[in-house]
Amino acid sequence: MASTLIYSEQELINALKAKDDQAFSYLYDHYSGSLYSIILQIVKSPEIAGDVLQEVFINIWRKIETYDPLKGRLFTWMLNISRNASIDMLRSRNYQNSQKNQEITDNVYGIDQATQTSIDSIGLSKFLGKLRPEQRVLIELAYFKGYTHDEISQIEDIPLGTVKTRIRNALLQLRDYLK
Amino acid sequence: MNIHDYISSGIIESYVLGLASPEESAEFERMCATYSELRAARNAFEIQLEASSQQQKIDPPRELKSRIFSRIGMESDALMSKPPINKPVLVPRIGFAKYVAAASLLLLAGSVALNFYLLSEYKKSIARNNELIAAQTQVAAANQVLSTKLQTYEETMGLMKNPLMAIIKMPGSPNSPAPSSMATVYWNTETKDVYLLVNKLPLPVPEKQYQLWAIVDGKPVDAGVFDIHEGLSFVKLKTIPKAEAFAITLEKKGGSPAPTMDAMYVMGRVTG
Repeated sequence: MASTLIYSEQELINALKAKDDQAFSYLYDHYSGSLYSIILQIVKSPEIAGDVLQEVFINIWRKIETYDPLKGRLFTWMLNISRNASIDMLRSRNYQNSQKNQEITDNVYGIDQATQTSIDSIGLSKFLGKLRPEQRVLIELAYFKGYTHDEISQIEDIPLGTVKTRIRNALLQLRDYLK
Repeated sequence: MNIHDYISSGIIESYVLGLASPEESAEFERMCATYSELRAARNAFEIQLEASSQQQKIDPPRELKSRIFSRIGMESDALMSKPPINKPVLVPRIGFAKYVAAASLLLLAGSVALNFYLLSEYKKSIARNNELIAAQTQVAAANQVLSTKLQTYEETMGLMKNPLMAIIKMPGSPNSPAPSSMATVYWNTETKDVYLLVNKLPLPVPEKQYQLWAIVDGKPVDAGVFDIHEGLSFVKLKTIPKAEAFAITLEKKGGSPAPTMDAMYVMGRVTG
């Protein structure tokens, strides 16, 4: 309904910076699905992903002024807000407590198996499956867990240079994979 | 390192996905500012990533949008309420205040004028009210007079209507000082009370008074003196038990023991 309007990227950005409700509604209709997918791949739980998505859109609304087109496309900016918010959630005490409970219930009922499977079959999660194991673990730690290269170097006890090279090589495959 | 090697080093993907370190990111942004090729390559990867992500959509819970928009709505309202305070919209406000002040003065002046008008009207009203009270008092007094008069007439009428009354007409005799005079005696045959109705008699001089006489066994008996008033003159005189005739003479004030025969104005015989 509201999405019958078509914005060019620049028009959309201008309208969002003007705090235009209609443009924001379009943005939500247009991008909430892909951002929710990105969030869900990191936090795993649909309920938590919903909470994160809410925070993400509130932040997009609040911080749209700070978006700089020279540094990348609007979607890239939103993707990074989504990923950072998801990783912040992973590290929050609430999330870690809920995950402990989740593991117990999972063991009893095996609930999240279907969700997990469906998450694995999309986006970068699916891409992970294409990688060699030594690359996969690094992408997992870097992209899905939010660790820095230094931290990964310590966790995996691999030289920092090797971490960088492996991650970059893995990401170069992503470019081909996306084609 | 030339730009093509840099492009194919994986830095673009690393930067776009947020995996580059702060130093790497800063360097990448500097390189982008310089090399349009690098910007184009970055843009191409971003578009690929966006397109791929758009194909991997998962619909979030339906109620989420309204939740988000209600929160945004609150912030939006807060935003919208600020500008009128910050912007120099004081000019129209001063103008408005002037209008208000001018309007207030006009209203005040109008109010003062109205007060004076109302005060003068109030004074007039009081004066008129006093006049009305006086007039009303006069009317009430006149009314009192009239009602007294009416009461007298009614009493008179009541007496005249009484079936027990004997009516003796007394016309003026040819020898009367005023031959056209006329008076009527109403004599209650039961109580023997005598009332006199003056039909027509000349007004006497101040020192004289009319006197009614009852003729009993051929001799005049004093039946009382009376004055003539404006209007209906119907007076009660002395009680006369027995009489053959009645007559009126003009005597000195207070009456005489015997009638002055040449001053007899009227006379009438009691019939039946």
